[in-house]
Amino acid sequence: MSYVLSLLIALPLVAAPFVYLATRGDKRLGVYLSLGLSVVVMLIAGYVFWQVYSSPPPGGQYLLQEKYSWISFSSFGLNYFLGTDGLSSPLIFVSALLTVLVIIGSRKLIDHHEAEYYSLIFLFEGAIMGVFTSLNLILFYIFWEIVLIPMFFFIGVWGGPRRKYAAMKFIIFTFAGSTIMLLGFLYFYMGMPSPSFDIPTIQALLQTHQIPVGLEYLPLLASFIGFAVKLPLVPFHTWLPDAHVEAPSPISVLLAGVLLKMGGYGFIRISIGLFPGASAQYAWIFLALGLFSMFYGAVAALLQKDLKKMIAFTSINHMGFVLFGAYATLISGSVLGIEGAIFQMFTHALAVGSLFMLSGYIQHQAGTREIPLLKGLGTTMPRTAVILVLGAAAAMGLPPFSSFLAEFMVIVAGISASAYAAISVLVPVITAGYFLWMIKRTVLSQAEAGHEVHDMGWSDVAAFAVYLVPLIVLIVTSYLILTPALPVAQFLRGLP
Amino acid sequence: MIDYLTITVVLLAGAGLFLPLLQVFRMGKRNLAGYILALVLATALALIGLFTFYPSSVPWAGSLIIPDQLGGVFALVTVGVTLAVAVASFDFQKSTSNPVYYGLLAFTALGMVLLAYSQDLLMLFVSWELMSLPTYVLAGFDKKLRSNEASVKYAIIGAMSSAVILYAISLAYGLTGSTQISAVVAGFASHPSALAGVATLLFVAGFGFKMSIVPFHMWIPDAYEGAPTTISTLLAAATKKAGFIAAIRVLLAITTLYAVTKSPLFTMANVFAVLALLTMTVGNISALTQKSMTRLLAYSSIAQAGYILIGFVAFSNAPGTSAATLGLTGSVFHVINHAVMKGAAFLAAALVLLQLKRADLGAYDGLGKRMPITAFTLAVAFLGLAGVPPLSGFWSKLILVLSVANGPFGWLALAAILNSAFSLGYYAWIIKRMYIDEGESTARVKEPLWFVLIFAIMVGLIVGIGLFPQQVINLVSNAVTGYTG
Repeated sequence: MSYVLSLLIALPLVAAPFVYLATRGDKRLGVYLSLGLSVVVMLIAGYVFWQVYSSPPPGGQYLLQEKYSWISFSSFGLNYFLGTDGLSSPLIFVSALLTVLVIIGSRKLIDHHEAEYYSLIFLFEGAIMGVFTSLNLILFYIFWEIVLIPMFFFIGVWGGPRRKYAAMKFIIFTFAGSTIMLLGFLYFYMGMPSPSFDIPTIQALLQTHQIPVGLEYLPLLASFIGFAVKLPLVPFHTWLPDAHVEAPSPISVLLAGVLLKMGGYGFIRISIGLFPGASAQYAWIFLALGLFSMFYGAVAALLQKDLKKMIAFTSINHMGFVLFGAYATLISGSVLGIEGAIFQMFTHALAVGSLFMLSGYIQHQAGTREIPLLKGLGTTMPRTAVILVLGAAAAMGLPPFSSFLAEFMVIVAGISASAYAAISVLVPVITAGYFLWMIKRTVLSQAEAGHEVHDMGWSDVAAFAVYLVPLIVLIVTSYLILTPALPVAQFLRGLP
Repeated sequence: MIDYLTITVVLLAGAGLFLPLLQVFRMGKRNLAGYILALVLATALALIGLFTFYPSSVPWAGSLIIPDQLGGVFALVTVGVTLAVAVASFDFQKSTSNPVYYGLLAFTALGMVLLAYSQDLLMLFVSWELMSLPTYVLAGFDKKLRSNEASVKYAIIGAMSSAVILYAISLAYGLTGSTQISAVVAGFASHPSALAGVATLLFVAGFGFKMSIVPFHMWIPDAYEGAPTTISTLLAAATKKAGFIAAIRVLLAITTLYAVTKSPLFTMANVFAVLALLTMTVGNISALTQKSMTRLLAYSSIAQAGYILIGFVAFSNAPGTSAATLGLTGSVFHVINHAVMKGAAFLAAALVLLQLKRADLGAYDGLGKRMPITAFTLAVAFLGLAGVPPLSGFWSKLILVLSVANGPFGWLALAAILNSAFSLGYYAWIIKRMYIDEGESTARVKEPLWFVLIFAIMVGLIVGIGLFPQQVINLVSNAVTGYTG
């Protein structure tokens, strides 16, 4: 039995109070300790990623499993059950990577309550690792809920002027969504012939046709609500722009780069993986909802004046691709959909992460995020401008950034599901349109005289390179993610 | 074979009788009575603990009292809460340091212990009164108008509920010729009559006052707000639980054998389900609009009673099935968790009232800076009450919801889940006020050592049971199977 995944969860959780004490004592010490710890977690995550890549588990099987009985009495049983496969390992790695980058980016942008801030980041990281590695539905739900607590404080304590409203809205929306999801799990559990919360056990029951499809409808609906709030899917998205606008920029990176992935992961792992019959029957609705979200996010982004709000709506647009791709596979049988969805989650985390962090820098240096007020960045902040253009190119899916490949795969899978889904080709066009318009207004416009702004230093440029370089490398080495993702996609496609 | 229970009863009765004498001999200074009572209660707790974990089947006092594990669990909870209240009173009741106060606490504890083990309706009623009468006095102990109003209101409603219970007992005795609970239940089953149904519903109403079930809840917010906050803790976390054990002993026993009415609509499961729904919803919606902490906690306590009732629904819907066992286990488990969480929350409110002299919600702005330990305790207790994992309240709510998730009462599970999400609206609101809002000052306020000690134990329990619930679940599950057979 391996302990790597437990270590991945426990290390950040145990580290959190120590980081708190260290940062209270000495701020520099705390930051360096956080940085060191997050790098260690990232190395472990890298090891997990490499393990999964070098020996991809066959569909329906999981690497690095750990299983202990946690609670059992009369007819109720619950296991502490962890494992990873080609779906979770990229997300584990990208979450750990973003945590390192967020800590680097927070040095300048977070200037009060640092001790609480850095310890909550580790609480968040540990919980996220738990979400992505849990193979037991209740364990999954527990980590899912723990994630909310640090997020509530991130938005509420370090946010902008309307932070209190945004924090309350965030926690009530997402808590309501996830409790409904839990109820769906419980209903499903009580209806099973031999009840279990373990995902592999349930999938084995599914393959031997022991779970009637009639049992799947309500849990599918319930989990849909939980995941749609997180993804977020229009019309469950209204907490997202508020939360993003109020959250400090490093937290926006975690919010968009990691938290939203929980929704996409949930759809693929649980909605499709545990309720495949019902999912297949209603795949059209999910496909249409994903498509609508893509268009809605893109058009809404076009209308935003606040740079950060624009990026927030970009996230809605991009996460729509995830749902669209995942369900396109169920209709067409083309594995490209789920593979593309997994790839899209990875690339979106880095691309949008860089843009959110950048919006923080721009606000810090220029004093505003309003696109019409940001003029002449090309001359006043040339290095920032270059990064902004590159980040925008990555987000709009311009080759050679691998986001292109991800969106391409999803759209191909969509077209093979239905010719009408070809309309999704228009989404990247709108995306490119609003990004280019934003660049025209900020980077290519005339600078106003009398504004003294500082450009970012080379060390910051290096930090941003960590976001963008992997995206370029991955278009050549896409097999790193797609090889382990293939058995997952084939398995999910083949579930009855 | 040492009879732990006899020692416990003698100890508590002795404390109740002799502590007030300290006043007569002018030895009531410096909390002496409080220290003695705390020692007595701690001993009682240890004895009952031994007795519960290593049960003996020696019948005690004939058939009036049969010490089983289920009673042991409730006795542990109620005595534990009384101990916490007594310790908190060292500081809270310092100004009116009064041996009578502690003597009355001892009598309440004795009443609750006896009630937990009662197997006979008369014994149950006598214990019920032994538990209730001292609390009427304690609620008015502040000698302020508000406190006295609370006391009178509570006493009148309490007397009414006692009368209702007594009437139900008289009906039961008239119908079956016995006051032994098992005999009454068997008699109801062999000779069904409309009067038996009336008696059952009167029991629901009588116990419902103590359990704070809507629509028998009106006295709760006023009494909790007016009474000294330590006594509110006792009412919410201990005597209320005694109401639940009485209901389990009498009402659930009736439902195992006897369908109270012939109508398929008017079954006990449906009655409990409607009460549970009303109680949760009214409690949570009212809590949201409260301006004072004690009232908010009172309504939150009402809402939690609604969750506990869900287990009653599962039990009476299909006695003998695994869902029934699951439901009753969930109820008893939630009783334990709720006692700890609500006890912690009320004592935190008591400390805020003691140190800041304010009970309105404004006193909680920026409390995270002023009283960090109290604020943290309150935050953990609130998250637990809302059912956020991995705290103890999550597991009991999970088991409760699970017991009705797939079946005719699925709507109740949905209602419970939505209520939980809704309740986070006010719990998170207070947490926001404590940690995110700015207070009027940031100066540290003293947090007395005794309170810190209780808070540490209670937070330890909430988190500890949350992470490792197996031991407690085993105990509860054994107790429930021992009871249902």
